Amino acid sequence: MQQFSYTIKDELGIHARPAGLLVKQASPFKSTIAVDTGTKKADAKKIMALMGAGVKQGMTVTVSAEGPDEDEAIEALKKFFEETL
Amino acid sequence: MGLFDAFKKKGMEIGSPLKGKCVSIKEVSDPTFSEEILGKGVAVIPEDGKVCAPADGVITTMFPTGHAVGMTVSGGAELLVHVGLDTVALKGDGFTIIAKEGQKVKKGELLMEVDLEKVKAAGYDVITPVIICNSDEYAEIKGLTDKDVNAGDTVIEIQK
Repeated sequence: MQQFSYTIKDELGIHARPAGLLVKQASPFKSTIAVDTGTKKADAKKIMALMGAGVKQGMTVTVSAEGPDEDEAIEALKKFFEETL
Repeated sequence: MGLFDAFKKKGMEIGSPLKGKCVSIKEVSDPTFSEEILGKGVAVIPEDGKVCAPADGVITTMFPTGHAVGMTVSGGAELLVHVGLDTVALKGDGFTIIAKEGQKVKKGELLMEVDLEKVKAAGYDVITPVIICNSDEYAEIKGLTDKDVNAGDTVIEIQK
């Protein structure tokens, strides 16, 4: 398993648009990808789960990937979080 | 099980959350919706600020800003009603939340209210996408567009 932690800088957190973009990033990978807020863990390929996680500015989340392409997945997601959130 | 099977076979019908005009999702001037990044669906140009449950189900996500609500419809569809575009930036101003996360709702039940004039005056488009977020799980999602609707009138038909 690969993972990284990231503190959300975007003042609006993960609302509808970033959730959609994140799913678009995560979906092509075979690995299981999750965003864990400490209280809620969401499947990064499911829009409703991501929006329901209530990720806000200042929150530190752990993004994990587990599967055959976990290295590539975590690299792509790290880039996405740094550029978008 | 008998009833559930009948429902599954019949598919699901999603009502309009608002009174207004139902249009194609392609008419929404935000690619997040028009390019179906969040899923397939329709959009309603609202004439009234009462946002009602489009189907029976459970509220899964009530955004604290009140600008959007997610619910899991009885039958499994994950539905998002997003009132206006970029309205997350209003941080709740103009929106009144009625329903709570985890609450079971009946079709037509009031979920939240929006002051459409206030949102428009703040410079936001009030067009309201109604999206099936788990579109991939269904064979067909048909939008019944280009018509005037009352809250509850069927705007999306889903086939397994």
